[in-house]
Amino acid sequence: MISEQAKQRMRDLAARYPVARSAIMPALYIAQQEEGYITQAALQAVAEAIGLTVDDVESVATFYTMYYQHPPGKKVIKVCTSIACYLRGCDAVVNHLEKRLGIKRGETSANGNYTFMTVECLASCGTAPVMQVNDEFVEKITLEMVDALVDEWNDALGNISNTNASDGQGRNIKNVEPKTEIRL
Amino acid sequence: MPELIVTKDIDAPGLDTLDGYRQHGGYEALSRALKEYQPDELVELVKKSGLRGRGGAGFPTGTKWSFLAKNDKTRYLCCNADESEPGTFKDRMIMEKSPHLLVEGVILASYACHVSTAFIYVRGELALAGRQVERAIEEAYAAGYIGKNILGSGFSLDVILHRGAGAYICGEESALMESLEGRRGYPRLKPPFPAAVGLYGGPTVINNCETLATLPAIIRNGAEWYASFGTEKSTGTRIFCLSGHVKKPGNYELPLGTPIRTLIYDEQYGGGVLDDRQLKAIIPGGSSTFILGADKVDTPLDFESIAAAGSMLGSGGVVVMHEDTCIVDAVLRMTEFYRDESCGKCTPCREGTYWLTEILHRIEHGDGKESDIDLLMDICDNISGKSFCPLGDAATSSITSSIKLFREEYVYHVREGRCMVGRGVTQTDR
Amino acid sequence: MSEEKTDELIHLTIDDIPVAVPPGTLVWAAARQAGIEIPIYCYHPKMPPLGACRMCFVEIEKLPKPPQTACTTPVSEGMIVHTKTEKVIKARKGTLEFLLINHPLDCPICDKGGECDLQDFTLRHGPGGTRFDLYKRHYSKPIPVSDRVMLDRERCILCQRCTRFSSEISMDDGLVMISRGYKMEVGTAPDHAFDSIFSGNTVEMCPVGALTATAYRFKSRPWELKRIPSVCNNCSVGCNARVDVRVDKIMRLMSRTNDAIDDGWLCDRGRWGFEFVNSSQRLRTPLIRRDGKLEPATWDQAFYLIASRIRSIADTHGAQAIGGIGSTRTTNEEAYLFQKLLREVIGTPHIDHHHGYFPVPRDLLTGKPWMMTNSIADIEKASHIVLIAADPYERQPILNLRIKKAMKSGAHIYIINESETELDRFASSKISIPQNGAGSAAKMLLKHVLNDEIAKAHQYEEMRAMIQSDDEAIRAAEEYFGVEATTQLQHLAETLVGSTGAIILYDEMATLAPGCADLAADLQALAVLTDNITRAGSGVGPLFEDANSLGARDMGLLPDALPGYAQTAEKGLAYHKMLSSPDIKALFVMGANPLRHVEQLPSKLEFLIVQDIQLTETAELADVVLPAVTFAEKDGSMTNVDHHVQAIRHALRPLPGAKPDWEILVEIAKYLGQKWTYTRPQDILSEIAASNPFYSGLTWERLGAQGVRTQEQMELNDTDVAMRKGAAHA
Repeated sequence: MISEQAKQRMRDLAARYPVARSAIMPALYIAQQEEGYITQAALQAVAEAIGLTVDDVESVATFYTMYYQHPPGKKVIKVCTSIACYLRGCDAVVNHLEKRLGIKRGETSANGNYTFMTVECLASCGTAPVMQVNDEFVEKITLEMVDALVDEWNDALGNISNTNASDGQGRNIKNVEPKTEIRL
Repeated sequence: MPELIVTKDIDAPGLDTLDGYRQHGGYEALSRALKEYQPDELVELVKKSGLRGRGGAGFPTGTKWSFLAKNDKTRYLCCNADESEPGTFKDRMIMEKSPHLLVEGVILASYACHVSTAFIYVRGELALAGRQVERAIEEAYAAGYIGKNILGSGFSLDVILHRGAGAYICGEESALMESLEGRRGYPRLKPPFPAAVGLYGGPTVINNCETLATLPAIIRNGAEWYASFGTEKSTGTRIFCLSGHVKKPGNYELPLGTPIRTLIYDEQYGGGVLDDRQLKAIIPGGSSTFILGADKVDTPLDFESIAAAGSMLGSGGVVVMHEDTCIVDAVLRMTEFYRDESCGKCTPCREGTYWLTEILHRIEHGDGKESDIDLLMDICDNISGKSFCPLGDAATSSITSSIKLFREEYVYHVREGRCMVGRGVTQTDR
Repeated sequence: MSEEKTDELIHLTIDDIPVAVPPGTLVWAAARQAGIEIPIYCYHPKMPPLGACRMCFVEIEKLPKPPQTACTTPVSEGMIVHTKTEKVIKARKGTLEFLLINHPLDCPICDKGGECDLQDFTLRHGPGGTRFDLYKRHYSKPIPVSDRVMLDRERCILCQRCTRFSSEISMDDGLVMISRGYKMEVGTAPDHAFDSIFSGNTVEMCPVGALTATAYRFKSRPWELKRIPSVCNNCSVGCNARVDVRVDKIMRLMSRTNDAIDDGWLCDRGRWGFEFVNSSQRLRTPLIRRDGKLEPATWDQAFYLIASRIRSIADTHGAQAIGGIGSTRTTNEEAYLFQKLLREVIGTPHIDHHHGYFPVPRDLLTGKPWMMTNSIADIEKASHIVLIAADPYERQPILNLRIKKAMKSGAHIYIINESETELDRFASSKISIPQNGAGSAAKMLLKHVLNDEIAKAHQYEEMRAMIQSDDEAIRAAEEYFGVEATTQLQHLAETLVGSTGAIILYDEMATLAPGCADLAADLQALAVLTDNITRAGSGVGPLFEDANSLGARDMGLLPDALPGYAQTAEKGLAYHKMLSSPDIKALFVMGANPLRHVEQLPSKLEFLIVQDIQLTETAELADVVLPAVTFAEKDGSMTNVDHHVQAIRHALRPLPGAKPDWEILVEIAKYLGQKWTYTRPQDILSEIAASNPFYSGLTWERLGAQGVRTQEQMELNDTDVAMRKGAAHA
């Protein structure tokens, strides 16, 4: 359900830009803030507020990686794996996080606590390796930092066990077609 | 100690607030420009300064402004703060630490170009930077630096912050305009160029964040002053983003023409290669530029010299690789970036980057074939110059240059099934 | 050879062949003119250039960054183009190799095989083999995007023709691009179907077999098809189509671009709505009622019975006791012969067909017959388009596309309708009126326009008097409509007065609604008053219902008009009167089904002849049923909504046992003692051309491939003169 205030904010944005259509991106953020991801209701609300068709909004939303098509976990962890972070050991961070969180990159844990993704360059190459947790930077990561953070999160979220019932496999964040690379 | 222009006082506490900024001379350039210069005079001034775009292409800024079509369509300015080129992180620093510097630059450029609505397109992942700029805009509105009749000059301006949502291609200026207009970020056909037909059909100028942030200093101190730094054709200073295998990675503002060696080894800057290893390769301007061998370490960092050495100055993102780097794995990583960021509009980039990563992947993981290396080169030849926009060319830079310089590593992978040097930092199957 | 360049063409050379084309032509099109094929995918002549597929490379001298794409580069004087250099050939091979790395080897099971651009270009321009030896991407396939269209994402080469059609031509975003990069796919919003009436165009324009039609899947191979140029028979637009036939069945209709009518598109009804032609319910033998049941009979028996009963009824009750109901879907030749049979051979004046309400055959103000005064192409030039009680998306879909095209050039759309219409979201103003309110809305517009200063300059006394007499009713309607609608109508009236070219269209059948008897006349008057009849981009007229509605009128299937709208000596009974009059003892119904519009047939009817392709409700009550053939099995001419006379051509032989309507009519005339000498429909057309001012000079050959738009060959002064002559009200 998208709140009335959110819809009004979308309409205000549509009026702020020279052409209403430009407001589609901020409107999608507002909808995602309320719903957690881009739901049918989100598409509908944005389409109505801006005067577009739902298909059009879906098409734009799926172009950008920051609009989630599936419900994300409470903590969305994005580790940069581009060249500068690669040179400073991000892969070890990724592997370690997979172990500690109990899910593979691209997955959301079955209890809904964690979504773990690898992402492209986050413009923080000077403090590599780097990740974002719910859009806030964690820089110059070491494996010890990872451990400390995961312990902290587990406590905060009441996450008793890191592994899930089914052998460390979480729910895929994207419907996986056969033989398709899962990178988000 | 060389002159710091854009990063002057960057670490001063409170610089990101209006008062703090003003204490350090903020908005003096604006008030001077509005009082003493006609817009066209400002364009001439910037031309004389020799300032070139800091986003990657290095096009002379004043000249770009003068290309704006002279018709009665509404003009727009857009600050390209969609910093996504791997190895680049300077615009983020400016926006987080000195957002008013950017805002002042936006206002100055808008005044010079007769623009009444300006946009700042910040990549979505830079949440803090976006918040900082948003606040700076609000403070500027409140202080009368943006809005109607700025400082009584008769010039009015509206500034809108627009957040991206995770697409490197939207850093390409025509794709940026598409994204701003509320569409999928596909690049546009050129011609028409943005200066003729840009945002909403009107003449548009798109400048990089650092470029705009340089304007206040140029106005305050003059074109000749700015041109006194750097080299004849690459004037001024710029922020170099040093990353990779160096002891002290980070943003360093240096005059153009400084040799790469200084940036990497000087104690004030990079402090030398990580673990005092041997330098193996340098990427001078972000992962889209050709890799240079260690023998090019004395090349001056200016547009002309780097081009003569076989690469591009690009975004100023200097990535350093030492002797323990498996070049094949590093190139694979860089190519995956382009595969994931390809917009998909044109066939060569969309299918080609996918194919390239698949071949590099199997070379890296021991299943490569002899023919793969030449196949990589041929695929790159079929992408470069044939794709719709420069992303296709960018995707091939690291491959073609690395095969030229380090072919033996590729051959070793194919013949021996493992890395010649380094552990190939990748440890798991992907 | 230095000729003076007196023409305004641009001269260039392509592969050393000199070519001259109008300025603005793309290099790709210029090459085609020179007979040189440049392979291409994303480009479509009706959409702006995209340059995405990177297939159409050429090398143009003196331009930067070779190779360049031919579809995005307009020609320039003296340009030198090479299409077969090493660089170009390598680039083409490269692109094709890229397209084929993920493309499945589906050719043996893919509908498109044989007419597939990927097959063809790979054969002609592609590499002999692929170097890709890895895993292709997979999708579940095919998936239905609607109940008419299937999508196979593995085959898709992402040329974006279908998505651009959906966003730029049909503007309904039926298909959109989802995701980006190598994961990009064509699709719809979740749980949304591609239920546009125009979906078939994407199937046709898809260069590969990614979009396929459920109506055609696995039914045929393209090389088995016979392709006959004809015209769609589903509505009054008369889109040019190509009928594809396999052995003895229609497989599909494809478009056959006529820029003046369909602009290269077909709607799904026309494209796939031909089941009735192939239907097993087709009549294959004449039927005669014996002992209360319809039983098969021979043609001779049927004709003999018809002739003897008609003669006996005429002798007993007079020819006035016989009536004829004609068709809006048979050809001009057949309509002409039908009325000729009834008027000249049988001698009755009672002829009509089911049509909208028009007070007299010709509008009194302008002297023109009731039809669109503008052409379909004129719609693009209008500054304002008013649709009153009309939703082209439902009844004349391709006109909906033409209106959208006009919108892209800046036209404003006004919709006056009691329900929602597909164009509502594009309308500058949607005026919602109560049920059956169209007639009152038209009167309100007329009233406001008459009050306007410009109108006051001319005298228009009679019109003023008429509106005055309706004043009470108009005021009541204004109250009933409410303030918002009334104000919107007032505003529209003002807009119309000041417009540079307004086209006012209404659905023919809307005139039959209660309170809408004056709709046609009032809107005609509105157009005259606002000077929207003769200017470019202006016009007014009904959107006819069927493929030959206008032809039926032209051919005199009217009780008060002869062919060409000459006045009849005696006025016959109109449609509803004929069907309810106790004086009608015999009825001949051809290509029509009156029981769809009336409860029952005339109470004293003694003899009913029905000529049709299937056993309709009316046919089931007939005494004699004559099996006719469809549009696909005969030749003839049809007249569309903006008076294009077009040739339909037989794509199939007549169904064994059935005959074309015109042949049946010739036989009936013979049995009634009148020997007509027509041997082919072309003969009938000649006779029509000789006597009907709207068809004067037409021959079958002149109709050609794209038809001819004819107007009355009469001198018509400006409308003022016609009005001052002041024909009396009927």
